[in-house]
Amino acid sequence: MIFNSEISGQQQHTTSPVVTGGSVIALVYNGGVIVGSDTLCSYGSMAAFKNVQKIVQISQNTIYASSGEYSDFQQVVKELAKIDRSALQYDDGVHPSPKDYGNFLARLSYKKRCKINPLYLQNVIAGFHNKERYLALVDIYGTYLESNFITTGFASYFCKAIISNYWNENCTLEQAKQVIRECFKVLFCRDCRAHDVIQLAYVDEQGTHIEEPERVETKWDFNGFKSRANEKLHTQ
Amino acid sequence: MQYLDNYLQSKGGYDYTNVKRNELMKAQGFKEMPFTKTGTTIVGVLFDGGVVMAADTRATAGSIVADKNCEKLHVLAPNIWAAGAGTAADLHHQCAHFNAKLKLQRLNLNRQSRVNEVITKLTSKLFPYRGNIGVALIIGGIDCNGPQLASVSPHGNYVYHPFQSMGSGSLAALGILEAKFQDGLTKQQAIDLAIEAIEAGIFHDMGSGSNVDVVAITKDGADYKRNIRQYNAKSYQRQIPYDFPINNTPALRKYQFDIEKQELTEVGQEMEIIE
Repeated sequence: MIFNSEISGQQQHTTSPVVTGGSVIALVYNGGVIVGSDTLCSYGSMAAFKNVQKIVQISQNTIYASSGEYSDFQQVVKELAKIDRSALQYDDGVHPSPKDYGNFLARLSYKKRCKINPLYLQNVIAGFHNKERYLALVDIYGTYLESNFITTGFASYFCKAIISNYWNENCTLEQAKQVIRECFKVLFCRDCRAHDVIQLAYVDEQGTHIEEPERVETKWDFNGFKSRANEKLHTQ
Repeated sequence: MQYLDNYLQSKGGYDYTNVKRNELMKAQGFKEMPFTKTGTTIVGVLFDGGVVMAADTRATAGSIVADKNCEKLHVLAPNIWAAGAGTAADLHHQCAHFNAKLKLQRLNLNRQSRVNEVITKLTSKLFPYRGNIGVALIIGGIDCNGPQLASVSPHGNYVYHPFQSMGSGSLAALGILEAKFQDGLTKQQAIDLAIEAIEAGIFHDMGSGSNVDVVAITKDGADYKRNIRQYNAKSYQRQIPYDFPINNTPALRKYQFDIEKQELTEVGQEMEIIE
């Protein structure tokens, strides 16, 4: 991915993201991998685009999601789709495995980081290949991490505890979905750039399934918040 | 009188003489000492009939653990406790100061201390110092107006919420609190929730660790459980002083020395030492 402006030396490097996507949470479950993210792209502190799909199918058994600069996300999707398409030229039914996409993204991110012009993204690649679940994180520096659960953005601070306590790698799809919904509930309550409409997508032996966006239920009317009795006492 | 007028005019609202002194010292080459912060997770949970507060027990100085088992739950009054995050020295001294101040007031007025009184005194002290007194406190107590839980930030801001968390591990603890808090908790449920929230801080925040302390404040008093949970207790503790069990060593051979005859003979054997 080399631009003419890079060669001519006129390129301005990315200093800060403009349109950003929120946290992504991905979990492994018994039979596949599930990824969840919200459907908001923020323009700084403005909730500009509220119905954005941030989880994309790359191939028959791989899905890709990321948090960070949305234009970089769209470019990476194009690059990964290019790889998948070019495999068709060989006409032998062989497609890159999810790990191949993970590796490619790690090398690409690292190269761009070395030129101090990074892809402003925390990338999550999930897949199911040869009866094995695959889940990896590639961050803005090109660090590559395979793991059973991945959180990006603010979810790393709020949701790791919820995931450790209420999820294990052999839970069912429904249990994993519930954990992700709970995490996004907490994020909507405490993260300023989060949204309550989320989208879940999972990969299993049958292929990739990207579900329709759904709204998480949040409760804001606890007694202590609603009545403010103690605050009134304070000023008596 | 001229002197007094000049002095008052230059003094203004806040006294910045120490700021000038600090800048001079820095220019002369004095390095700022690293102070022990608490890098903490503290939580408070309001339940029907009282308040539960919990804290971890790690104090850090930079990236070194300075104290593996410090106490972060401080008594301000028999019915009001404070959990503190921030600079350890500031917390210790401020809490001791307010404990004494409240006690004096109780002796003078013969009345129980109130939570909103504590908040008012604290914020009045902290606000003029513009956040330089590094205390972030969760104040919980029960008084004539019922159970109350509030948090005070170093700048002097206070907020009353049914559940609070502060410190570097507050985000991890808040995740658990937001997911699990409900109205109408019982005392045991609130204690379990507080412990789970501190656990989240201990395992998912590097500034928090070691053990969990809990205090449950109700009308009947404060129930303080120091180190209610220990996650990395030493599996073997050396016994001090060590008692050597008698007759523990099997004897292979026994010798007897006759002082008068100056002879060493082996007991149980006919053999004698050949000279």
